[in-house]
Parts: sequence; structure tokens; C-alpha cells
Amino acid sequence: MDNELGSFETEMKRGFLQLLVLVLLEKEAYGYAMVRAFRDLRYEIEENTLYPLLRRLEKRALIQGKWDVSEERPRKFYAITSEGKKLRDELVGIWNHQDNILKQVLKEKKHAQEP
Amino acid sequence: MPKNLENYLEEISHFLSGREERHEILSEIRSHIMEKAEQEGGPVTEASLEKVISAYGQPRRVAEKYLENRPVIAPVFQRHLFRYASCLFAIHFAFTVFAVAFKESFISFPFLFIPRMGIFDAVMYLPMAFLADFGVVALILYFITRSGKEIKLPWPKFALDLNEMKAFDKKNLAAKAATLFGGGVMLALTAVAIWLFVKFHTIFFVSFNFEKFRPLLLPEPGRRISLIVIAMLAAQTIAIFVSVFARSRRMVCWVDAATDALGLVLIGMLLRQPAAGLFAVHIAPASMPMIWFALTIGLLVVALMIAIDLVAKLVRLGRKSLKK
Repeated sequence: MDNELGSFETEMKRGFLQLLVLVLLEKEAYGYAMVRAFRDLRYEIEENTLYPLLRRLEKRALIQGKWDVSEERPRKFYAITSEGKKLRDELVGIWNHQDNILKQVLKEKKHAQEP
Repeated sequence: MPKNLENYLEEISHFLSGREERHEILSEIRSHIMEKAEQEGGPVTEASLEKVISAYGQPRRVAEKYLENRPVIAPVFQRHLFRYASCLFAIHFAFTVFAVAFKESFISFPFLFIPRMGIFDAVMYLPMAFLADFGVVALILYFITRSGKEIKLPWPKFALDLNEMKAFDKKNLAAKAATLFGGGVMLALTAVAIWLFVKFHTIFFVSFNFEKFRPLLLPEPGRRISLIVIAMLAAQTIAIFVSVFARSRRMVCWVDAATDALGLVLIGMLLRQPAAGLFAVHIAPASMPMIWFALTIGLLVVALMIAIDLVAKLVRLGRKSLKK
């Protein structure tokens, strides 16, 4: 059962993480800072999934990456592009719509179960 | 750079060979690991890095996440793989039989090359031929998948399909009892064959009247062929009992594959027996080529069935290993 839950959770997280990154990158951030931000929100991710995701979003011009070499340790900062913002808004709309549907179905189910 | 981090990145780099953005990927992972080790463990040491590295994941798993998860063969075409390979192999097999029977080579470059060969060579050649056919079909399906075009492949309603082959169900008591019964019959047959061989040095008779013992084959070939047949019976018996009592299906699969391989070798040995000086009874010389041809074709058909089963077992074992 735990395995099954794990695979469903991974599947759900995949889409959610993309959306979360697009929302979070309204403000420029680098990978490790994002991991910390997620952790502060009590949202644990596998770190090694974040960077490939950032790369895919960058390839599709939804975010833009830029190396900062001014510090001792080089860091790659990412920020959302105008195309990314457009997509993010649409995705947030879809998310809210789905969230409303789920809430409604759960509410109806609860009412049906009440004596 | 610390040695363990260097080694870790080197391993990831190996799995990302050929990707132009490899250096950038590695730089980003390096930056992340160093920063995390520093932020969460104070001054960076090999020990603190080791902890972060192990949390980041196995190099292969890390590299895989950067690779597009495109299947080699699209799921809709995967079921075609065995069906087409077995159809192609049927053609291949027919040409092999012709090549052996008519002592001819068949060449249709670059699609077909079947050299003139003897019967023993043919038995050894057939499993290789199946693997080659499998490879050709896999390659074509790979290119079709890569093309991304809407292609509808025909679906022949015959031939081997691995997905339709069900594994032995341990819970099915009726099937288990039937297998056990079959095993008992095989055991009895093997025991009778061994008893006959010990008593008469052959298991082939013209009649079952042991008072007037008349062997079908001459003593030396009779002894050789009897031993080969007893070995085949014994191997099959062992395989059946293993399939009933073994706890692991993987073990059953391995034993079946080993039995098939042994069966092919033994059939090859049977086919190598010279036709002349074989029979102890009189057979009209004109009938001899016909009898020999029929025996050869019969053994080749059995060899084909065993070869297909062997390849299917090996592919199933390979598939299980890949899943692991």
C-alpha cells in the first residue's frame, strides 16, 4: 500500500512541482534556495528532481537561467519569462478549477453519508 | 575539489556522455552539493559531503532524470515485437529446412542469408536466427517510434506472443495436479527406459516380446541413441518436478531454459547419427531416404518448438532482470 501511495504521490507531485516552481520564480532564485523555500513550506522534494525540471522549463523558454559568478561559489539563478507567466496563470486557473471540483465532490459525498 | 565529490560527478558525467549541456549540469550539481554541505554541516569536509552526496542519489538515477523518458519502442508497438519476430522466424525456419534438405544456400541481400549447412549446424543456428529476427523487428519498431508518425501496423492473428503466455499459477491446484501427473508419467517412462537399457543395452525394439528380443537398431548406434533419448526423458522429468515444487518462478524459468538448451544439443546429436548402418532390421533401400527425411523433418520441428521456448524463456528472464 505504501508503495502504491508513493507512486501516486510521485505522479501528483510531478505536475504540482512544475506549477510551484513557476509561481515561486516570480522572484529570481537559485536551486538550493528553492529547496530551502519548499522545506520552509513543509514541502519535501527529491533534490535531484528539481534541477532536471528547471532545465526542461528553461529549454521551453518558460524560465530563464543566468550564472552569477560574482561570489566565491557560482550559482545559477532562474526567473520566470513572460511566456512562463502566461502559462503559469493558465495553470493556476486549471488548478483552482480542479480544486473546486474535488471540494464539491467531497462535500456532496459527505452530505450523502449524513443520516 | 574533494575527491568524493569529484568521483561522484565523474560517475554522473559518465551516464550523461554525449550530452552537450553535461558540463553545465555537473556545475549546477556541484554548486548545490557544496552549498548544502556548507549550510547544513558547517565547514565542508569529505564526511559532510558524503552525507549530502548520498542524500542526492545514485549517479545513474540522477543522470536518468535529465534524459527524456522516451521509450525505445512505443507502447502501442511493443505487442508487435514478438508477433512479428515469430512470423519472421517462421519464414527463416522454412528457409533453413530447405537449406538443409536441398543442400542449398539462400541469399537475398540484405534481408536473408542462410548458408548451406548440415542438420547439426541448423539446430545450433535456429536460436541465433530467432535473436537476429527479434533484433531486426526491434530496430524497425524503434525507427517507427522515432519517426513519431501515425502508423498503423497490421496485426497477424497467429504466432508467438510473450504477453499471452501465462506463468504457472501455483494456487491453481488442478493445474498443479495435472503437472504432477505428467511428471509421474515421465518418471515412469524414464524408469522403464533405464530398466530396458540396463537389461538389453537399447530401448528400441521391433516388438515387445522380450522372450524373442529383436532390437530395431544395431548395437552401437542403438546404445548411443538410447542414451540420448534417456537423457532427454530425464531432463524433462526433472524440469516438470522443479516446476511443481520450486518456490521461485525465476528458478523454474532457468531450469526450463537449461532443459531446452540440453534438448537442442541432444537433438543435434541425434541428427548427427549416420543413416547408413543404423537399422538391425531389413528396410528396402528405396524407402530409406524417405524414412530418413521424415525423421529429420520431425526432429527439426521439435527443435523449432524447443528453440522458440528457449528464446521466450531467455527473454522473460532478461525482462525480469531489467525490471529489477
